[in-house]
Amino acid sequence: MLPRYLRVPVCYLRINMQTRLVKLTNRFGLHARASARVVAVASRFRCSISLIWNGRRASARSMLAVMLLAAGVGATIRVETSGPDETEAMTAMVQLIADRFGEER
Amino acid sequence: MSFVLHGIGVSGGIAIGRAQLVSHATLEVAHYSIVPEQVHSEIERLSHAMRTVQKELESLHGTMTASDAPAEFGAFLDVHWMILTDPTLHEAPKRTIAEQLCNAEWALTQQLGVLIEQFDSIEDPYLRERKADVVHVVERVLKVLMGRPGPVRPSQEHAILVAHDLSPADVIQFKNKHFAAFLTDLGGVTSHTAIVARSLNVPAVVATHNARALIRENEMLIVDGARNVVIVNPDHSVLAEYRLRQEEFELELAKLRRLRTTPATTLDGCRVELNANIELPEDLEPAIENGASGVGLFRTEFLFLNRDGLPSEDEQFEAYRAVAAGMKGRPVTIRTFDLGADKHKEGLDGLTRVAPNPALGLRAVRFCLAEPRLFLTQLRAILRASPYGKVKILLPMLSSVGEIEQALALIAQAKEALREQKIAFDAGIEVGGMIEIPAAVLSMGAFASRLDFLSIGTNDLIQYTLAVDRADDAVSQLYDALHPAVIKLIALAISSASKAGVPIAVCGEMAGDVRFTRLLLGMGLLDFSMHPAHVLAVKQRVLTSELAAARAIVARMRRTDEPAKLVALLARLNA
Repeated sequence: MLPRYLRVPVCYLRINMQTRLVKLTNRFGLHARASARVVAVASRFRCSISLIWNGRRASARSMLAVMLLAAGVGATIRVETSGPDETEAMTAMVQLIADRFGEER
Repeated sequence: MSFVLHGIGVSGGIAIGRAQLVSHATLEVAHYSIVPEQVHSEIERLSHAMRTVQKELESLHGTMTASDAPAEFGAFLDVHWMILTDPTLHEAPKRTIAEQLCNAEWALTQQLGVLIEQFDSIEDPYLRERKADVVHVVERVLKVLMGRPGPVRPSQEHAILVAHDLSPADVIQFKNKHFAAFLTDLGGVTSHTAIVARSLNVPAVVATHNARALIRENEMLIVDGARNVVIVNPDHSVLAEYRLRQEEFELELAKLRRLRTTPATTLDGCRVELNANIELPEDLEPAIENGASGVGLFRTEFLFLNRDGLPSEDEQFEAYRAVAAGMKGRPVTIRTFDLGADKHKEGLDGLTRVAPNPALGLRAVRFCLAEPRLFLTQLRAILRASPYGKVKILLPMLSSVGEIEQALALIAQAKEALREQKIAFDAGIEVGGMIEIPAAVLSMGAFASRLDFLSIGTNDLIQYTLAVDRADDAVSQLYDALHPAVIKLIALAISSASKAGVPIAVCGEMAGDVRFTRLLLGMGLLDFSMHPAHVLAVKQRVLTSELAAARAIVARMRRTDEPAKLVALLARLNA
């Protein structure tokens, strides 16, 4: 165990964090099925993944939070990943959104 | 602020107490408090329900991917699965249970309310409407929770239950729960709330339209069932006046209780049988307490409601034996189960489909004949109970000779099987039929020659004669026991049975309504069966009635088709 003065809150150690701005170009934005895809992708990673839009933040692991973010079509949302596999998670998220959540167009 | 609500008083008497609201999501959710020791099990109940729904969704998903259902369905299930497993949906209700000491259903409904509010504030109309998915998931969980219902009980003494509407399954939970009164937005004179309230001798006002929305939890209420009013937040003088009226009413009841052991005989010395209708073996106690001469109708379908799975033969046998033995040789008429229409039982395949017109669909004896395995189980249980008392079998809703013969054949089959297994039963057990369909009244000869006794179910007979769904608020005002056609049919049924020498009884609501006691006596009826709570009032009526006088007026009532004349003659009869 480290002496008390050397113990630092974990969050200070995690200075690395990925941030990207992505525009939603699919038909309805983060609707229920798109949200489900986000949650499904997020669940493959260990890092924390947040979506931020319009001054609100949603954990990408919470279906209800993503749905309630209510990011409509054309919204530019910020994706933040932070944790061990944050780079891979960011790539996957950005890819998912760029693919319009797998919807046909 | 004090205000008055009007509705239909379906059960007389006066209740003074505080409102206990039954929450209204799309499903009726009751709110009750739990003790700290129950928190853990209540949270477990919620988790269990959520796991059950999760498994349901997963197995649905399995069948989807196996078949070639459109991908849309699978995606839909994914959405629901994810909503269900989202901690946002569990954590808050669990905290609510622990902090507010309330039931799981209520806690979950509260969280649903919070989420709905958030969805409603979304500007994008398409995204806003996705709240429907959340509501759907929560309803699924609520259904599981309520299929295993926690006890709804009065939060305090003199609690008055205020609900939007009550289903038969809801209502049966309220038996022995000692609510002081019932108020519902919907319903009519013959709704289930009404029937149960009358049977419990508790005042009830239904069809108040918006009582549930206007009354707040714990508000002081006066319910006056006889005058069709509800007074919310009464002032002191009104309250004092009503307390006085309530005392007078209770004094009347006390007087009635003295008639308990008096034989029911008319002024001209004619002996009348006053039997009790019961739903569960527990109802036997009030039946005996009120001096019923026997059980005229044991509605066995209530053994099937509000439980998991179906009652086994042994379980049914125990219930029937308890009643047969409890009546100590006095007759016990067991009606085979009348499921279908408004009384559903989950898990019975024949009933899970939504019938286009359930009252005219597969119910009662029709259902029994379609599911002979279930029917035979019940028949065996009844036959096995028959040596313990004087048991009779009553078949519900017969419409044709074919049905009677099929049912009799199944009874013979059940007897034969018992004989082979050397199990004792009463070989001479009487088999009777319910007369609840106009067709049965109009072909009474065929019924009387094949059955040992008959029993008129007035509620359904009126419903089928007038083509009025008694559970439908929009038409329930057309439901009229005093319709000339109804009077003629009942009179015809009684007189044809007497002519054929077959005993006939009336076991519907009319039998327990003192306004109709003399009418039925005048038609020649000598066997009434009603809820135990009405036996004494009807007895008081019988004691003051003169058969000859009643007959003369009723003969005139049978001849007229004019409703106004009928009302006038009934008033004279009851004068």
